[in-house]
Amino acid sequence: MIEMSAIETSGLTKAYGDLTAVNDLDLVVEEGEVFGFLGPNGAGKSTTINMLLDFTRPTAGSATVLGYDAQAEADAISPRVGVLPEGFDIYPRLSGRRHIEFAIKTKSATDDPDEILERAGLSADDAARPAGDYSKGMRQRLATGIALVGDPDLLIMDEPSSGLDPNGISEMQDLVRSESERGTTVFFSSHILEHVEAVCDRVGVLNEGELVAVDTIEGLREQFGGGATMTLTLAGPAAEVRAVADELQGVTDVTASGRTLECTIADPAAKARLVTELADAGATIRDLRIEEVSLESLFTALTNGDVDDSKTQGGPADAVATEPEVAR
Amino acid sequence: MTSHVPTVARKEFEDAGRSKLLWSLIGLLVGIVVIGYVAIWQTVDDTTAAEVLSFLGVPLQVILPVAALIAGYMAVVGERRSGSIKILLGLPPNRTDVVFGKLLGRMGVVGLAVGLAFLVSLVLGAALFGSVPFVDWLGFAAVSLLFGLMFVGLAVGVSASVSTRGKSMATVVGLYMVFVALWELLTAGPYYLIYDEPVPVEAETWYLVLEQFNPLFAYSNLASAILENSVYPFRFQYGLQEMQAAGMTPAERYPGDAPFYLQDWFGVVVMLCWLIVPVAIGYYRFQRTDL
Repeated sequence: MIEMSAIETSGLTKAYGDLTAVNDLDLVVEEGEVFGFLGPNGAGKSTTINMLLDFTRPTAGSATVLGYDAQAEADAISPRVGVLPEGFDIYPRLSGRRHIEFAIKTKSATDDPDEILERAGLSADDAARPAGDYSKGMRQRLATGIALVGDPDLLIMDEPSSGLDPNGISEMQDLVRSESERGTTVFFSSHILEHVEAVCDRVGVLNEGELVAVDTIEGLREQFGGGATMTLTLAGPAAEVRAVADELQGVTDVTASGRTLECTIADPAAKARLVTELADAGATIRDLRIEEVSLESLFTALTNGDVDDSKTQGGPADAVATEPEVAR
Repeated sequence: MTSHVPTVARKEFEDAGRSKLLWSLIGLLVGIVVIGYVAIWQTVDDTTAAEVLSFLGVPLQVILPVAALIAGYMAVVGERRSGSIKILLGLPPNRTDVVFGKLLGRMGVVGLAVGLAFLVSLVLGAALFGSVPFVDWLGFAAVSLLFGLMFVGLAVGVSASVSTRGKSMATVVGLYMVFVALWELLTAGPYYLIYDEPVPVEAETWYLVLEQFNPLFAYSNLASAILENSVYPFRFQYGLQEMQAAGMTPAERYPGDAPFYLQDWFGVVVMLCWLIVPVAIGYYRFQRTDL
C-alpha cells in the first residue's frame, strides 16, 4: 500500500433529527503525527470519534482508519488501534490488572501486564485492587493502559486530560510524546488548547460540527494574526515618540500613556525594527515586555467566543472574534 | 476473524462471580430446595424422592424466571449506560461478541445455580427419602435448566434491544406478568368474545396452540410428563375457561391424537423459541444502534 493516512474522513456527517452534530467533515491525519482535535464542548468531537470507532453510524459520508472502512471493516481496525473513549467506565469488580489481562487476551498481544501498568502510571498495589475503588484519575490511567496494550499503530483518545490534575496532564503529555516516538500516530481531542499545543504536530479546530481550521500551532498563529503586544517603558514621556511607532509597518495599534508605550504587532519582524527606530529617535528604553497573543484567545476567536463562557456576549467576545479577520 | 465470544463470556462470568448476584441466586435456589425437602420430610409421611421432586415444580416456576430475568436484564444495557461498553468495543470484541459473550456468561451463572440446586435435591432426596430417582431427576433438571436459560436469553435479548435500564426492566417485568398474570385475559378473553362462552376443555386448536406457547405452561407440561406427579402451571385464573381445563395440558385437551405441536415434548421447541427469538431481535437492534 502506498502512503496511507491514519485517519481519513470524507463528507462525514451525523445528524440527529434536525440537529447536525458533525457536518461534511473532511479530515486527514497522516501516519506518525500527533494530531490535536480541538473544539468547545458539544462541537462534535466525540461524535466524530464515535464514528471512527463504529460506536455511532454516520448519516452521510465515510471514514477510514488505517486504510480500513470504519464501518464495514471495523473488525480489522480494533486490533491495531488503542482507544481511550470519552464517558467510559471500568468494571468495578475486576482488578486493574485483570482489565489489562483481558485487553491483552482480546488483542492476542504478548505484553507484560506489569509493564503496561507501569507505563500507565498505576502501581502494583493499585492494580491488585478492584477498579471500582479507583479515583477518576486512576480510572483514566487504567483506560490509558488498556489503550496501550498490543502496541497500537494508532491511539485515539477522546478528552484524555479530563479528570486529571496538572501533574496527571503533564504525565499524559509525556506519554503521548513517548508513544509518538515509538512511531504511533496519536489522535486526541480536547476542549482545552493548552493541553494540545505542547504535544501536537497539527491541530484541527471543530466548531458546531464543522472544521474551521487545520494547521500547525505556528501556522494558526501566523494565519490568525500572529499578534503580540509589546510594552515598552521609556525614560521620557511616551507621547513624544509615539509617531515613530505609528508610522512603522507591521504595528497595528499604539497606545501611549505616561512613560509606557503599548504597541500591537502584526508582523513579528516589526518588533526589532520598532526598538531600533525608537533608539534612533532618541528614546531610552528602560524595559521591554513582549506578550504573544495567547492561543486561548485565538481558539476563542476561531470558535466565535462561545468556548466556555456563554455569558460573554456582545462587547468583549465579539471584539476578540473579529480580530483575526481584521488581521488577515 | 477470531471470535471473542469465549473471552467476553469468561470475563462476564468472572465479573458475576464477584458480585453478590450469583451468590444470592445460588442461595435462593438451593435454599428453596433445602426448605422444601426438609418441610416435606417433616410433615408428609410415606413419600418417595421422586414424588418430592414434583413439589419443586411450582416454586421453580416463580424463582427461576425471576432469578434469570434479574441476572440478564442489565447485561448489555447496563454496560451501555455506564460506558464500560466503550472500553469493551474499543478492544477487538465487536457487538456480536458482546451480545453472545454476555448471553453465555449469564447463562453460565444461572446454569451453575440451577445445577447446584438440583445437586442438593439429589443428595437430600437420597438422605431424607432414601431413594435416587435418577432418570426423573435428570429429565426434570434438564428441563428446569432449559427453562432458566430461556429466561436468561429473553432478558439478555431485551437488554440488547433497548437503550435504557428502565425500558429493559419494564419489558422483562411486563413479559413475565403477561406469562403469569395476563395470559388468560389475553387468550381466553378474545375466545370468550368470539364464541360467547368460557373456553371449554376441548377448545379450538388455535387456543390450544396459544396455551402451548406460554413458556410457563410449556415447562409445567414437560415437568408433568417427566415426573410421577403433575406439576400445575403457575398462573392467575379469571374464570374465563372451565375450571377443570386449568390443570390439563393441550395434548390432553385435544380431542383424539394431538398433532405434534400440541404434544408435551413440543414445549422444548417453545422454550427454545422464547430463547432464540428475543436474542435474535436484541442482536439485530444492538447491531444497528448508535451507542
